[in-house]
Amino acid sequence: MVKIKKRKLKEAEIPTSSMADIAFLLLLFFLVATVIDVDTGIGLTLPEYVPPSEQKFAPISKDRMAALLINENGDVLLNKKQISIPQIKENLIARIKSKIDLPKKKKLIVSVKTDRRTNYNIYIQALDQVKGAYFEVRKEYALQHWGKKVSELDKTQMHELRDKIPIIISIAEPEVVKK
Amino acid sequence: MKFQKKRASTKQEIPTASMPDIVFMLLLFFMVSTTLREVDVMVQFKLPEAKAIEKIENKRLISYIWVGNDGRIQLNDNIVQIKDIQKIMYKKRQELPNVIVSLRIDKNAQMGIVTDIQQELRKADARRINYSARLKE
Repeated sequence: MVKIKKRKLKEAEIPTSSMADIAFLLLLFFLVATVIDVDTGIGLTLPEYVPPSEQKFAPISKDRMAALLINENGDVLLNKKQISIPQIKENLIARIKSKIDLPKKKKLIVSVKTDRRTNYNIYIQALDQVKGAYFEVRKEYALQHWGKKVSELDKTQMHELRDKIPIIISIAEPEVVKK
Repeated sequence: MKFQKKRASTKQEIPTASMPDIVFMLLLFFMVSTTLREVDVMVQFKLPEAKAIEKIENKRLISYIWVGNDGRIQLNDNIVQIKDIQKIMYKKRQELPNVIVSLRIDKNAQMGIVTDIQQELRKADARRINYSARLKE
């Protein structure tokens, strides 16, 4: 009898040698088409818009107010005294601290006013100093009262912190430009 | 006498079988940790640097305004005039009530243009803003 030779079955295989290439191609596509950078910056909430005709002058005691004026040459006036930008922080820290225990309506208001020709970078540097002062005071308060960093506080503590040291930065109403 | 060269008996090959797995892992990492680029920036700008900055947690809430070093303003995906900002932002705010406007302004810009944009944003009632800045070393 003739032996029928069984045909040897080839092992079924999917060719995988090009899989790496395909994966690299996909990877490249995602690298090109996406952005990684996180958005960082100085957050602020603008005041509500009031038309100039309805604006009222609200008297604020001088004690509450820290008026920050920046002119076009980059000179800074804090409460009518000329200081340099890196000094803003120290000046404000002392004033914020003295008002921690005061009621909400007596907290410090920092008002920032600039000229139309002031350099944006200088404005950001000044704002950075103001924010930095607030963050410093908050950090110290959190460390003293709870022995924690600000980022580690729970919700009620965060709430108390925000209540005690609210960040009130007011962007002054721009003056009407004569045309 | 003939010297026999010593050779390692193992195969001299780098195993590449797991390469796709590694690359797929990388791919997954990038897919998860990034967001798709949505707009082309048409203005040139250099961000200012600051220390006391914070992250914006929710990227989907952000709407961007760029101001280039030539004073052109780009809102989301096209160049606009200052007076158009109010209308566009007002529409945006109706879709997305707690929109954050990220202002990416060139550091050599003048405050006049910034103030004008802020006024428009106030009129549109989009009052949460963020001056985009890079971390100063």
